[in-house]
Amino acid sequence: MSARRVRIRGALSLGAAAIFSITLAAAVAPQTPAKPTPTADQIVARYVAARGGLEKIRSIQTLREKGRLTAGADRQALVTRELKRPSRSRFEITVQGVTGVFVSDGQRGWRMSPFDGDTEPTALPAEVVSEAAEQADIEGPLVDWKAKGHQIEMAGRETIDGHDAYKIKLTLKSGAVRYEYIDTKTMYRVRTDSTRQVHGQPLQIKMTFGDYKKTSGTIFPHQIDIAAAGRPQTMHVVVDTVEVNPPLAEDRFAMAVPAQP
Amino acid sequence: MRKSPWLLLLLPAFAFADDVFLKGGAVFSGRIVNQTETMITIDIGDGQVGVAMTRVDHIVKGRSPLDVYDERAGKLASGDAAGWRSLGEWAAKQSLSAQSRQAYQKVLATVPGDPEARQALGFVLVDGHWLTEEESYRARGFVKYDGEWMTPAEAQMAQASADATQARQEAETRANQAEADKILAESRAAKAEARAQQAEARDTWGTPVYMGGWGYGVNAWPYPGQVTTWPAYQPPPQAGQ
Repeated sequence: MSARRVRIRGALSLGAAAIFSITLAAAVAPQTPAKPTPTADQIVARYVAARGGLEKIRSIQTLREKGRLTAGADRQALVTRELKRPSRSRFEITVQGVTGVFVSDGQRGWRMSPFDGDTEPTALPAEVVSEAAEQADIEGPLVDWKAKGHQIEMAGRETIDGHDAYKIKLTLKSGAVRYEYIDTKTMYRVRTDSTRQVHGQPLQIKMTFGDYKKTSGTIFPHQIDIAAAGRPQTMHVVVDTVEVNPPLAEDRFAMAVPAQP
Repeated sequence: MRKSPWLLLLLPAFAFADDVFLKGGAVFSGRIVNQTETMITIDIGDGQVGVAMTRVDHIVKGRSPLDVYDERAGKLASGDAAGWRSLGEWAAKQSLSAQSRQAYQKVLATVPGDPEARQALGFVLVDGHWLTEEESYRARGFVKYDGEWMTPAEAQMAQASADATQARQEAETRANQAEADKILAESRAAKAEARAQQAEARDTWGTPVYMGGWGYGVNAWPYPGQVTTWPAYQPPPQAGQ
């Protein structure tokens, strides 16, 4: 199989402009008593409330989102993401009429990716299953972070695409570190920074969230931009539909039986 | 199961395609152009793909977005830039990249500077000139490595990592080849293990694209038109072998 390989690309250039903005803002700030900076715990509590509240968020047992993914010219896909407590996830991507499936039940995972020449299910490597389980956290890692074994700490404030944002350092139970940026006004998450290994090298990934809309009392981002530091191309996800608590049979997340030769 | 023609008339024009569902959940959607007891061939609009019938779970026949595209395209005059632009946008939303590209190229044939068509085809406006995506990246100092644009330093590190991985895999393969051949010939279980090893070999290189908290799985931007037959075509043994 000789499919061309084009992975995530692109980079958001925050750099000098953002730093200049912060510096300028500090220089011209009025001499009024500064408000005490809230603690990370307080920020997360306000973030949870802004999303719709703990009760609403906890009531989400299943979730299905459908949308479109673009990664530059000639690279359009239809995508569907299904999540179910606990830790079930199913991701489908369709390109030019061909649909691949990636599934995890939190313990095991498998894929069926015709793009890679697969016509039968193959097991996902352990590190991908681990990543899938983290992504299958239907409410996100900040909700009930303490009970999940994660750690948070305040890491300052930054301007993200014109939004003044709190920066929270999130250390997952697995040890992976992310930085979550919460808009100081809306208290919505505007960006997540993480690091992952690609080609054996650490690669910084920035995900920007926007176009928040409410479904069943909870807000969801409908635009997600994904970029990697040092890469010129970006990946855009536009979420067209969000379904809260759709019926998702357990067998959608079960390990498929490999075909017999 | 074939739907009644009368029923099809009542359905939205783009609601159905010939959908070939594989055991395990993957789907090919397009136009079935040939079907035998052993193989089914589907036109996905950017080439044809063949799939062994042993892998097929079920087939749902219907009207394809490709049919809709052809029908709409057939009604457009070649100089109807607005019509082709609209069709290109529609095709992109169906993830029919080949058809979208074709439609936008029709737009450019009539309006060479059409910004929407230029951008859809990947052109970037630099100092009043439309550059291709590749030209714009090169101008910014990026290099292409294994289909990805990145900094030269990252490409160098990626190549070093790939070389090391390949060398290790080749050494392992050589060491295990004789024994693996024997086992593969003896039992089905060994074949399954071999498939798993192949998958693992792919995964060590093809780290899945990270889609943030939104999705995971694909390890490269898929170009289904690049692959014409699943499973991979096996040439018949030649005389004397």
